[in-house]
Amino acid sequence: MTATSDPSAASGPPPAAGSPSPATTAPRRRERVADVPLLEVQDLTVRFGTEDGVVNAVRGVSYQLAEREVLGIVGESGSGKSVSSLAVMGLLPRTALITGRILLEGENILEMGVKEQRSLRGRRIAMIFQDPMTALNPVYSVGDQLAEAVRSHEQISKKMALSRAAEMLDLVGIPRPVDRLGSYPHEFSGGMRQRVMIAMAVINNPDVIIADEPTTALDVTVQAQILEKLIEVKDAVNAAIVLITHDLGVVAGMANRVLVMYAGKAVELGRTDQVFTSPRMPYAAGLLGSMPSLASAGGRLRPIPGAPPSLINLPPGCPFSPRCPLVQDRCNSEEPALYATDQHDHTAACHYWADLADREDPTSIFRPTAVVAE
Amino acid sequence: MAVFVIRRLIVSFFILLASTFLIYTLVAVSGDPLGDLRADTSPNRQQKIDARIEKLHLDQSIPARYTIWISGAAKCAVPGLDCDLGEAKNGQDVSALLGTAVSSTLRLVAAATVLAILLGVSIGIISALRQYSGFDYSITLMAFLFFSLPIFWVAVLLKQYMAIQVNDWYRDPKVGLVTSLVLGALSALTWGAIIGGSAQRRWVVRGVAFVASVGALLAMSASGWFKFPALGPGLITVLSLGAAVGVAALVAGLVRRNVLYACLATAAVGCIAQFFVTPWLRDPKWASWTNLLALLVVAVAVAVAIGWALGGLDKGQAIRATVITAVVTGLVIVVDIALRTVNPYSRLVNGRIFATTGSETPNFSGTFWEGQLDLLTHLILPTIAIMLISFAGYSRFSRASMLEVMNADFVRTARSKGLTERTVIMRHAFRNALIPVTTLMAFDFGALLGGAVITETVFARRGMGSLFVTGLSQVDPNPVMGFYIVTAVSIVIFNMIADIGYAYLDPRIRLS
Amino acid sequence: MTTLPPQPITPEPGLPGTVPPDPVSGAPQGGGGVEREFTIRAMTQRQLVTRRFLRHRGAMIGLAVFVVVLVLANSAIGIFGLPGWWGESYQTTGEVVAGGRMTLDLLPSFADGDGVALGNHPFGQDNVGRDYFALTMRGAQISIVISLLVGLIATTLGVVVGALSGYFRGWVEGVLMRITDVFLTIPLLLIAAVVGKISGGGPVTLAFVLGLLVWVQLARLVRGEFLSLREKEFVEAARAMGASSARIIFRHILPNALGTIIVNATLTIAGAILLETALSFLSFGVQPPDTSLGRLISDYQQAFQTRPWLFWWPGVFIIAIALSVNFIGDGLRDAFDPKQTRVRA
Repeated sequence: MTATSDPSAASGPPPAAGSPSPATTAPRRRERVADVPLLEVQDLTVRFGTEDGVVNAVRGVSYQLAEREVLGIVGESGSGKSVSSLAVMGLLPRTALITGRILLEGENILEMGVKEQRSLRGRRIAMIFQDPMTALNPVYSVGDQLAEAVRSHEQISKKMALSRAAEMLDLVGIPRPVDRLGSYPHEFSGGMRQRVMIAMAVINNPDVIIADEPTTALDVTVQAQILEKLIEVKDAVNAAIVLITHDLGVVAGMANRVLVMYAGKAVELGRTDQVFTSPRMPYAAGLLGSMPSLASAGGRLRPIPGAPPSLINLPPGCPFSPRCPLVQDRCNSEEPALYATDQHDHTAACHYWADLADREDPTSIFRPTAVVAE
Repeated sequence: MAVFVIRRLIVSFFILLASTFLIYTLVAVSGDPLGDLRADTSPNRQQKIDARIEKLHLDQSIPARYTIWISGAAKCAVPGLDCDLGEAKNGQDVSALLGTAVSSTLRLVAAATVLAILLGVSIGIISALRQYSGFDYSITLMAFLFFSLPIFWVAVLLKQYMAIQVNDWYRDPKVGLVTSLVLGALSALTWGAIIGGSAQRRWVVRGVAFVASVGALLAMSASGWFKFPALGPGLITVLSLGAAVGVAALVAGLVRRNVLYACLATAAVGCIAQFFVTPWLRDPKWASWTNLLALLVVAVAVAVAIGWALGGLDKGQAIRATVITAVVTGLVIVVDIALRTVNPYSRLVNGRIFATTGSETPNFSGTFWEGQLDLLTHLILPTIAIMLISFAGYSRFSRASMLEVMNADFVRTARSKGLTERTVIMRHAFRNALIPVTTLMAFDFGALLGGAVITETVFARRGMGSLFVTGLSQVDPNPVMGFYIVTAVSIVIFNMIADIGYAYLDPRIRLS
Repeated sequence: MTTLPPQPITPEPGLPGTVPPDPVSGAPQGGGGVEREFTIRAMTQRQLVTRRFLRHRGAMIGLAVFVVVLVLANSAIGIFGLPGWWGESYQTTGEVVAGGRMTLDLLPSFADGDGVALGNHPFGQDNVGRDYFALTMRGAQISIVISLLVGLIATTLGVVVGALSGYFRGWVEGVLMRITDVFLTIPLLLIAAVVGKISGGGPVTLAFVLGLLVWVQLARLVRGEFLSLREKEFVEAARAMGASSARIIFRHILPNALGTIIVNATLTIAGAILLETALSFLSFGVQPPDTSLGRLISDYQQAFQTRPWLFWWPGVFIIAIALSVNFIGDGLRDAFDPKQTRVRA
């Protein structure tokens, strides 16, 4: 587990962005519209046509993101977490069929023209990708690529853009930033490259940063540093983060709220501490229960049996029902919506969430099979 | 970089030693060098045989003969010493034979290479961007066809058909309505594919292209333009300004007004300059390659100045764009001069402007431009024959490379920064896609040289290829080796250029 | 709503992923069984490749054309001593009838009144009265045989040397790389012409020497494949299980390299046809009394004005053969390595 700092007590350096000052070349911060969530996704569905059939990658996902909040999206490969975020960024291929609404401060991105969408990308919503080794263009220097990110949205000189780039490199913790502006990506290690990606994402003071498994490809020691840096940077530029990961430990340490996805749908959404201590959906319970920890040393592992369903031929009813220990007839015929549970602002897609609520240890519904080594 | 070049030269030297020895040995054993003399019935047969044995050192072993040859050839590399590449069977000095032959072959190969690369890579990239479109499929089909064409057959076909039919046509050059409509349709489809964009925009482009092409063809036909071709100041202006817009759109995007204005200004300067430049160049006293080169330098310098002055925040981009615009405008002016030369030239060659034999008209005497045009008309058909296959290779390869790059992660990152699609393609994808193409250049050059041998035979050009063919069929090693050493050295040089190009494009290998 | 009582912990043998039955009710837990999720039919690699190849229209057309030409050429004039169904021979000279014009008539009677007919000399006659159809068929036969042989020799040599140098590295690789470097400075046509002249002109010998030239390119490719494949984890795993080098090469690496090998072998065959015909055109390839499509074109290039069919038919056949093989190669390439856009969830 890589839990480190407590996100709710985020402090760190005072925001460098904000009012224009002679020392920085930061863009001016816009006025925030009050009473509207920063980012709201409503009933997002994404479908692709393939030679084997239509893939329902995302089947109706809704969530909200507040200012400066960290929302963790958890799920296995194929759960739709990356695709839904690519849809928010507008980076899906033209063959993707997208329905629903994506509201950035009340304005629906999906209804905007191409130019307008492009002006949001990299300026108000930015993305950090999974594999830092391939995410940067190998033939241009790091400084060039950072400066490009600035100059595509602002009319400033290359020199000014490069000085802002150096500021950003310094912000993400790259030593001797001015010297490194001329370095090429292959001259950096994986962790450093991911820092450069973070710098590139925040260089225009975005409102939302989407981090798609930013640490999955990195060594464990580097992971902690990167995540810490990410939170630091988020506070510095006053952004909210959507953190996509399959690592529950990362979520526990970083996220204010967590969204659990399964088979293209959101199956549980709520405050991190609540979801972790009292999951209301069997899949979430299974995820939490399957993690080995020092506390359970000597006990048995409790995996979730089976495998996720094919996104082409989904069985009717709840997609988790083949693997669910609480399954009833209703589960096989009727797909559950996100029900409100007994806890405030904590929803779960399970007909029988109350059953789970009754249990003292919800994770116990999965039977252990193997021994955890001491 | 210097170390790299020197190391390559040393390695290449040894490789050349090995390969020349191999070829020499193979040629030496490929037949009986005294074959024709053995069948001789004249009384001094034995003297002739002895004379040849002595001249070609046939009494010595093959390695010894090779050593004699290579020591003579080595003298070529040292400036100041006379080149001794031996003699052909008939007594002619090989280096003298080579002298005239090399320029002919070099022109052919250079033209074919440059055309194949420029056309092949651009069409390949456009195909990749319009994957699965009608354009893509037709280009793919064409590429397959070209891959399967025998060069010699195409060469003969071009020679017989084009030369005879087209030259006959030129006696009374008119374009019929049907032909105009067909050509107009082809032009419309091509321009639609190149410009791309929304369906609506493509149809507008197609419509405009169709009308413009048909109109132009019919007008040219009716006015007898083909007999007295020229571009004229009007057309030069239109073309240069159009090129300026096109270059600006490609390099920076039309939104960057600074770059657009800089390019337009450069084109305008060129258009005004034509009134001085054209008469000056057409004057036989001043027409020469050195003057053309000097003009090019001046044009580039002016372009750099304009780009720097008007570039604003994007000086680098502006300068790149203006230099390209200046070169294109210069090209347009030169094309105009060349077109104006067609009529006087055609009178000199009795109306048969497309030549089919030789590399130049024998005993030709005309002005500088007429001479260049003569070389050009002799060059067109063989060049087309050779470059078809190379073109197919480059277009397929760059298409595949571009497709791969467009799917790369860093392209997605570039899009996520909010860059326009044009910037993503031209700045990020294009350069990465070009990197593997440089490796193809090295392989393709050798194949091209082989094609040159065939076309020189078909078109009876007195190039190195014919040296080779005659030399080999007569078991005459020295001309063959003369051909080979020039070929091998040019391949080595070309490979080095390709490698340097690769290192320039890809910073990852510069350090090693 | 039923609640399940806490389950006793009992070790259950069996497949991982299956759920043991509920000891109380006897019904399997995790209802419906695990099989419900597997809705994709699995196929072997060979089946997948074959299916994709058969679906490739270009390749199927190419295959059909190639087979037609192969069968036509070999059956018309016979092979290995077996007689063909075509009456005329390509060797007997004779009287030139009607200027050697083609007697092939494809237009039906209502179009030009003569009806569809083959006639005695559908492709006409050459200068000394030989039947041109037979000549063309003979040329096609020889060209196909030569290119198939070249493909075979080049592939065998190329795979053996490429595999050895890619897997074992060492001196084999060093020698291969030096040979490749030398060959890179020699245009193929040049050295092919020289060895073609040495070989004398019999088709089989010619095929042999050409194969000895062409294998270098293939060996380089195979070496590249082996170099990258030997670093893969499944090779490491095989080695860890104690597999011998031979076993690793034949059972693990070679099947994975097969795609590249087959595709490039096909392309080599297409290239060999063009090479052989070019050599014969320059008269360094197949020599008389045998004939080749390239020789025919060379002999009759001047006839283009008066008897164009003498020039067209051999060219058409060369193109047909080369094009069909190229299409087959492209189909194979797509079958082994389809380009699909990735979708990551």
